[in-house]
Amino acid sequence: MSHSHSDTVPLHASSQSDIDEIENLMNATVLPARPPSPARAQIPVSSSPFLPSSIPPEPPLKPSSAAQKFVPSVPAAAPSAPPPPLPASSGGGGPRQGFEATGFGPGPNTLTEPVWDTVKRDMSRIVSNLKLVVFPNPYREDPGKALRDWDLWGPFFFIVFLGLVLSWSASVKKSEVFAVAFALLAAGAVILTLNVLLLGGHIIFFQSLSLLGYCLFPLDVGALICLLKDNVILKVIVVCVTLAWSSWAAYPFMSSAVNPRRKALALYPVFLMYVSVGFLIIAID
Amino acid sequence: MDPSQPVVENYANPKTCFFHVAFKAAALAFYILSSLFFDNFVIIFVVTVFLAALDFWVVKNVSGRILVGLRWWNEIDDNGESIWKFECLDQESLARMNKKDSWLFWWTLYLTAVAWTILGIFSLIRLQADYLLVVGVCLTLSIANIVGFTKCRKDAKKQIQAFATQTIASRFSSTLQSAFTVV
Repeated sequence: MSHSHSDTVPLHASSQSDIDEIENLMNATVLPARPPSPARAQIPVSSSPFLPSSIPPEPPLKPSSAAQKFVPSVPAAAPSAPPPPLPASSGGGGPRQGFEATGFGPGPNTLTEPVWDTVKRDMSRIVSNLKLVVFPNPYREDPGKALRDWDLWGPFFFIVFLGLVLSWSASVKKSEVFAVAFALLAAGAVILTLNVLLLGGHIIFFQSLSLLGYCLFPLDVGALICLLKDNVILKVIVVCVTLAWSSWAAYPFMSSAVNPRRKALALYPVFLMYVSVGFLIIAID
Repeated sequence: MDPSQPVVENYANPKTCFFHVAFKAAALAFYILSSLFFDNFVIIFVVTVFLAALDFWVVKNVSGRILVGLRWWNEIDDNGESIWKFECLDQESLARMNKKDSWLFWWTLYLTAVAWTILGIFSLIRLQADYLLVVGVCLTLSIANIVGFTKCRKDAKKQIQAFATQTIASRFSSTLQSAFTVV
């Protein structure tokens, strides 16, 4: 049958509606929270952080409907060389299929183009997460929804940046300063998350790690300013301001995760960690 | 396929294979060789971890999809629960995946984890806590990818079995039906 390359050809418009139907069915049946591999080969739901792939849904459903619709629209093409008009003919399914098609096909930009899209998407996710967490915005009222698309790239960059700045400011023992700063921040984030979990709070491990990492952004800014200007009083003021900003950013997420009676128990260690980082920034010479 | 030709498969996606291996090899090489040339731990740490993170991203987002047709990610649904999703291509495409590609994919994945473990043991013996930190981070990234893709593959195998049983069952029932209608 000619649907042998069904994974590399873009979806016909009517197949797209099949997929939408199936997506609606999926969204209607709420997925239970079973962490290990509940999903079959499904089209991911729209909040997925990745490029939705060309993966068709239930195998029995797809190939027959696809075959009937593909045959008229697709010229006879070998599986290894999808013809160039293919991505254009799919319309809405274009960008999705464009990746799979170009991945298998020839052409000078087969890897660069889709990878660049993924990179751009990840970068924009970092920026949007940063804006959600650190800057005032209407979504702060509902902390659970705000950091829905957590990612660990932003925190990684911020922690490394802070370590680099601290290490650069240090005149002696630069390597140790960096290692200590990195280990303190990484282990601190993990321990703080465990603290919330052990207090009976409802927080997702990676979401919390991501949040604590993003809340380091003000301290990064403060450390950079302190690196450039070496005045002690200025340093103290800058560190206090950025410390307050970091704590303010972390407050709604942490406090909403725990029982109100235990709010202080959850928030105090976070504040303590940021204070210790602040001291590191001030005390480095 | 022409049966008279010997089936010599080449890499179907040489560029992807190259990048899949390149970042891993670069991270390992930099880590091993840099202690000979540099004395600055910070640079070693940052560059090695950065290369390892790039490798993680490339494997997860690019080579996993292209070389073996698998993908995994995490989502948080509306109830605030975190869901791990594992996804694979349909059975036909999976069967058509280049064997060499997938061999390379899996073997380099496992070998890097083993290599980092060995390096970790070395730094443990030499009691270098800071190098252990580097190795720890790189190992965590490798293991995360291994676990994710292994779960994807298991899921894919389960699906193949389910699909096979389903096909067999449907064929069986249709044969029965046609037999009864004839009768």
